[in-house]
Amino acid sequence: MTQEAQQDTQSVLTPEVQAMIGVQGELVESWGTVDVEYLRRFTQAVMDPDPRYWDEEFAKTTHYGEIIVPPIMISYMTGRIRPDQEDAITKAFEENPMSDGIGNVERPGALPEIPTHLVRTLNAGNEIEIFQYPSIGDVIFFQNRYRDIRERVGRDGKAFLIITREITYSNQKKDLLCITRQSSIRR
Amino acid sequence: MTAPLEELLKMEPKEIQAHNERPTADQLRNKTQTYYEDVEVGLELPKYIYSPTPTHLFRWSAAIENFHRIHYDLDFGMNHDKNPSILVHGSWKQSVVPQFLKDWTLPKGWPWKAAFEHRAMLVPGDTLIMWGTVTGKYEKGGMGFIEMDLGMKTQDGVESMPGSATVVLPLRDGTDIPYPFVPPKD
Repeated sequence: MTQEAQQDTQSVLTPEVQAMIGVQGELVESWGTVDVEYLRRFTQAVMDPDPRYWDEEFAKTTHYGEIIVPPIMISYMTGRIRPDQEDAITKAFEENPMSDGIGNVERPGALPEIPTHLVRTLNAGNEIEIFQYPSIGDVIFFQNRYRDIRERVGRDGKAFLIITREITYSNQKKDLLCITRQSSIRR
Repeated sequence: MTAPLEELLKMEPKEIQAHNERPTADQLRNKTQTYYEDVEVGLELPKYIYSPTPTHLFRWSAAIENFHRIHYDLDFGMNHDKNPSILVHGSWKQSVVPQFLKDWTLPKGWPWKAAFEHRAMLVPGDTLIMWGTVTGKYEKGGMGFIEMDLGMKTQDGVESMPGSATVVLPLRDGTDIPYPFVPPKD
C-alpha cells in the first residue's frame, strides 16, 4: 500500500515538478490522412470484422451515416516516422547493433522532461475516452499535456511520482475525437 | 447465454476456444440494441477468446508500425531481454477494449471510456479471454450509463489487463444517444 507523503519523508513533488502540471506540447499534425488501407490493415490485425469499417452502403444506413474508424487507431498515427526524417531503424542499428528496434527516435510534440532525479519508469495504467469516430480523409492533430503529477510513498518509505500524460486527438475541423491518458510511476 | 468466466477458467484451452463469442460481420450488421433496462449488475458480457500466434503478432506490429523486436524476434526476446518468448503487444490488448465495448453497445449506444493496467507477459500459445462484468448502472441526462469491470485473462486465470469501463445505452423509451457523444455535466 502507498500513502500520501508524510512530513518526515523527503518530498519529490518539488515546486519545479508541480510547475509541469498543465504544460503542453505543440499541436502536431500527424503524417498522412485516415485512409481505407490503414483502416483495413488495422481492423484485420485487431480482428474486428465490423462492416461499419468497410461496407459503405451499409455504413450509410447506420447511426453514424458513414464508414467509421476505431478512435484508438489514430493514436498509432502519432508514432509514424515522417519521410523527411532520417531512417530511424537504420540509425538505431548503426548506433547499437543490438538495438531493440526502436532506438532514440525524436517524436514531434514531445513534452519536456520532468525535472526530477527519479529515473526508473513503470507503466501505471492507461485510459481512453471516446467522443467521436474519425472519418476517412480526416487529418489528425494531437497534443500532449501533463495532466497530473501526484506524490505517493512506497512501502520502503521513499516518495515517488505518478505522472499522467494526456494526449488529445482532433481532426481538421477541430472536432474532439478521443483522449488517451498514460500514467507512469517514476521512482 | 455467455459461459460464466469462472466456468471457462476450469476448462482446457480447446474447450475455452469453443466458447468464443466474437461476433461475425453479419452478427455485427444485424445486432439488435441492448437497452439500459435490459442490464442488471452482475451481467457478464460475451467472451472474446483469442489464441495469438507469432503471425498475429507480426501482423499487429506491421499494422501499427511498432518495430520493437520483443514482439517478433524470438532470439532477441529470449536472449537479450530474457523474456519467455516473443510477447503479445500491450497496444493490441488495449485496442481490443474499445472494440469489445463498441460491439456490446451497437447499434446506437456509445463505448464512452475505459481504464486499465498492463500486467503479466502474454505469449503465443496462450488462450486469452476478454471479459466484462457489469458492476453498476445509473441514468443521467436521459441516457443509461453502465459501469463494468473488464480484463483479459489467460487460460490459467492470470489477469493481464485489469480495468473498468463506462458505456452508454439508450433507455427503452428514451431518445438517441447524442453523436458526437457529449458527456453529461456533473
